[in-house]
Amino acid sequence: MKKYVLVRALYSVVTLWLLVTIIFALVRLTGDPVAMKAEAGADAAYVAQLRQSWGLDQPLHRQYLSFIGRLFRADFGHSFEKSLPVRDIYFERLPNSLKLGFAAFLISIVLGVPFGMLSALKVNSWWDHVGKLVALFGLSMPGFFLGLVLIMIFGTGLRWLPVLGKGSSAFVWSVPSTWVTFWFRDWAHLVMPAFALGWYFSGAMLRITRSGMLEVLGSDFIKLVRLKGVPERMVVARHALKNSMIPVLTFAGLNLLIMVNVAVVIEVIFNWPGVGQLLYDALSNRDFPMVQGVVLMSGLMIVLLNFTIDVLYGYVDPRIRLSL
Amino acid sequence: MLKKAFAILSGLTLTCGVAWGQGVPSTSRPILSGPLAKLDIKDAQVEAGRGTPKGGLRIGLHFGIDPGWFDPLGYHGAALQFFYLMHDALIKPMPQGEFTYGLAERAEMSADYRRAAFRLRPGLKFQDGHPLTTADVKWTYENYRGLNFKYLQEKVENIQVVDDRTIIFHFKGPFVDFLDLYNGSGSGIGWIVPRHYYEQVGKDGFKARPMGAGPFKFVSQEVGVQVSVEAWDQYWRRAPGVKTINVRAIRDLAARMAGLETGELDLAYGMTGKLLQRVMADPKLRWDRNYTSPWHLVFPGYNEPTSPFHDRRVRQAVSLAINRSFLVKQETQGIGKPWGNWISLETRDALRGDGTELPVPPYDPARAKQLLAEAGYPNGFDFDWYVPFAPYFDMAERILTDLRAVGMRSKMQMLDAPVYMAQTSKGRKGFPGNRTIVQRIDPRPGGAKELIRLYAVCAGQASYICEPRIEALWARHEASIDVAERDRLSKEIQRAIVESYYLVPVYLQPFVHAVTQKVLPEGEAVHRYWDTLNAPFPWPWEVWEVKS
Amino acid sequence: MATIPIGADRTIATRRAARRGLRALRQAPLIPLVILAVLVSVAILAPVLAPHGRLDPVKPTQERCLAKYGTPDCPYVDNVPPFWSRGSRLETPLGTDFLGRDVLSRLMYGARISLIVALTGALFAGAIGTVLGVLAGYMGRWWDEIIMRITDAWLTLPSLVFAILLSSVRGPGLWNVVLILALVFWSRYSRAVRGEVLSIRERDFVKLAEINGIGKLTIMWRHLIPNVMNTVMVLFSLQVGVAVIIEASLSFLGVGVPPPEPSWGLMMAQERESLMEGRWWLEIFPGICITLLVLSANMLGDWLRVRLDPQLRNR
Repeated sequence: MKKYVLVRALYSVVTLWLLVTIIFALVRLTGDPVAMKAEAGADAAYVAQLRQSWGLDQPLHRQYLSFIGRLFRADFGHSFEKSLPVRDIYFERLPNSLKLGFAAFLISIVLGVPFGMLSALKVNSWWDHVGKLVALFGLSMPGFFLGLVLIMIFGTGLRWLPVLGKGSSAFVWSVPSTWVTFWFRDWAHLVMPAFALGWYFSGAMLRITRSGMLEVLGSDFIKLVRLKGVPERMVVARHALKNSMIPVLTFAGLNLLIMVNVAVVIEVIFNWPGVGQLLYDALSNRDFPMVQGVVLMSGLMIVLLNFTIDVLYGYVDPRIRLSL
Repeated sequence: MLKKAFAILSGLTLTCGVAWGQGVPSTSRPILSGPLAKLDIKDAQVEAGRGTPKGGLRIGLHFGIDPGWFDPLGYHGAALQFFYLMHDALIKPMPQGEFTYGLAERAEMSADYRRAAFRLRPGLKFQDGHPLTTADVKWTYENYRGLNFKYLQEKVENIQVVDDRTIIFHFKGPFVDFLDLYNGSGSGIGWIVPRHYYEQVGKDGFKARPMGAGPFKFVSQEVGVQVSVEAWDQYWRRAPGVKTINVRAIRDLAARMAGLETGELDLAYGMTGKLLQRVMADPKLRWDRNYTSPWHLVFPGYNEPTSPFHDRRVRQAVSLAINRSFLVKQETQGIGKPWGNWISLETRDALRGDGTELPVPPYDPARAKQLLAEAGYPNGFDFDWYVPFAPYFDMAERILTDLRAVGMRSKMQMLDAPVYMAQTSKGRKGFPGNRTIVQRIDPRPGGAKELIRLYAVCAGQASYICEPRIEALWARHEASIDVAERDRLSKEIQRAIVESYYLVPVYLQPFVHAVTQKVLPEGEAVHRYWDTLNAPFPWPWEVWEVKS
Repeated sequence: MATIPIGADRTIATRRAARRGLRALRQAPLIPLVILAVLVSVAILAPVLAPHGRLDPVKPTQERCLAKYGTPDCPYVDNVPPFWSRGSRLETPLGTDFLGRDVLSRLMYGARISLIVALTGALFAGAIGTVLGVLAGYMGRWWDEIIMRITDAWLTLPSLVFAILLSSVRGPGLWNVVLILALVFWSRYSRAVRGEVLSIRERDFVKLAEINGIGKLTIMWRHLIPNVMNTVMVLFSLQVGVAVIIEASLSFLGVGVPPPEPSWGLMMAQERESLMEGRWWLEIFPGICITLLVLSANMLGDWLRVRLDPQLRNR
């Protein structure tokens, strides 16, 4: 087991290093970031000083090494536009995206899993066809389209739900009392964006649940249980359900992380101050340290999650850790 | 015997004279010796009774917030609304007049314009209770690195701190425009930064938690998203009318409109465009026209021979191609005014562009095509980018459509306000290539000469124009200490710029703001908040009142 | 890979596959096929089919100008409603936008943009990914390790986030978006193709070629690549949908296809205020177009996947 964990860890480190290098190379291709930033009234000497403080006057390999070095110290640089450290701004906004991601995640499970199970149990029936179509539809309609429709109907039309931002509750790292209350307040603001974000993934959850269930239902283990004369309802409820949940949950976990990161357009439409909107701001302002920082963080999160899943799988299923 | 009497008499006279001198109010006691220049600075309106701040004002800003705007030391535009909120200046534009006393109770310039002096009000403090003295004034000046700082450094010889409340600037030569630059918006040096606090927290710390001497104290911010401030009831002028102000960045016009309608916002900026009609039709909203400055187009790099805009006829064609009257109808419901100058009419030495002093540019697409053919572009040409002022992208598309109708084709580059302002504040150097048109607006006070100094002379920090004729006129302007002659030269420069089409003016912008019924006073009296000249935003903030 | 017979010559296999493909197409689900056919023909024939230009306002008649503005002359009449409303015009059946441009024409040219960008982007991604996947699967050892590690790293980033990073490097522009799509999606192909190649290379016909001394490059080109085409096609059809959504998202955010070109995503971004004013069609029509295109691509891709994968056929 230890060997397995070590190998997976090494693999994650290599992936991370490659990721960092790819991002470094791509961002440097853009030209001269300092020319974008130098403040008005700044003379050539000041611009040169700025360039030096960002290490951009060094040859490329030195820049690369210092870039990696700073990453080790969790220093993502200073945002150009916001003039504050990228890391601080990112972590200030991250809870907002997590809150939206969790809510969308819940919605995708509530919408996708039951219907996926229904589809699998009544395979190739009318239910199944409708379910597959609905899932496909969810995967085809862009989330921001749905978001705009929701705003039109529930926001400015019926006036049932607020349209601006996330409400007044905030997750403040320095105030521990907000750490708990933040997640449970301002639900009204959360409904529309979470639905718009979760809708797409509910289609994916439906399909994964369906195929997972079908695979389990067709397995030898279930055939045996049936042969033993266990009533069908018990077969489903006790045996099939449990075993099909493993791939579903893995997929769901990955989806949550993806949701947190790809909610850019949803956050822009609903004025939701998460890391997606941060990325969009940084993009519109040619704020390279910020763009780079956000992308690196999302990559880091996913690599870490993959590593955790791999280790958990290896722990649960001996075949996996021995197949190394 | 006689000597003793003489001594006693002179001692008595001296004592009486000193006693008499103490009785004279300090505001009228001169600081500088010798003849003084005539200045027109209005007194501050200090309120006698101190009320209690009540209620909260929620503002919807139409672009993202840059925390760099909280720091006067790095000022390069767009920050003034936050300066008026959290900081204070020695003199600054107010509803009473373009120059109004703020932290200073007296300001003087010697008649030869070689010295300037200020006396601070007694008992001034920063928001943390620390006293505000001339040491802070000097320190602010010396650490300022924002707009025009190099120009100021070249002109100032040294700064003499006479005592805690008196400070004298000595210049290397006659510096007629000093007060314009020091006046709250020509640069940031008039906005006083607390030295003790700044040195303690550093530049980043100051942007994260700013502190100053203004009417509102910083409470919290979510970087780029919103800022919250609360009233500082020991502000020297008066206790602010509202208890809290929250400024939120809401780029989307529809979202700001929704905010006003649902009551989530009390004041929203930039309500022109597609929803202005809706604002006008809503009986629960009041809106102010708030004319700021004319939109104009600039051509970075036009004086390079490879640029398509090098030929004057091409630039003239750009001007002729724009259907201004239809544009103002579509974009501003007809409130905007097609204008022939690029400087705001509220600026004292600006030429009026409504036909009285400079003609309103005509709309003649046929002639535009003809001029293009003469200049060597019978089928028009493609240029790289049209860069609009965020977030007026619809207006930019309308202008682009007009340009395409005569053959000038391009695409639109959409930048958000902070990076747009950073790029344009570097002038020609902010844009690569020479095939770009940038749409600009700049409603800053300080006279037309400030805008010329910034944008229209070769040495200007945000310069787009470098022409020998204008340089010659400007040199004479700078050398002269006769205010009337300087005005005359400034007007000549404006005329030269417009007639040669170095800039193409479009229309005078109504920067429409809308308020809900929560804002007091009720009815049309609410327009008084927009009385300050050349103020795109409704400062000062301490006078705002809302229903609680 | 039961559809390609073992040991057959490549040319015969391709011809048979083509005939089979045509026959199979008739068994394909009708609705997505029709939708796709319509969209593709609209995209190709847009300059002919579109009643007006995509960039310039529709020239109005005098009575229309008088009716709206009270003057006989005006550059355009904006916000004309679609055919089911009062005040609509026959020559602009779906109405006009805020600049008086014909919505139907812009939707048609928008189909062009979406299809060009998505198809070429997915194509380039497929080309790069297939080549790298075949190299990794067949050449083995160092090739495999390096290419697969890079693929894995590339795959960790969610596509929209990655696309945004790249667009901050390249800036807006149609061909920039194509490049971005190619760079973002190639990794999905290489992984699947490598898996395919690993199983194919043990087949008899490949072993036969190796024994006959045919060079590795030729083997890869003539034997491996044609045989992974099924997998690639399935992936391609599924990726087209995703590519359309990524392009629409980038244009919506203002970093995809720049104005005044009529990308569907851009049209949605520009008309958000119209939604509030009750002119919902300006916002909804482009959204419907995107959904239809992606839906039909997804449905066809799904059908292809089921058809070409023998295991799934029984479901």
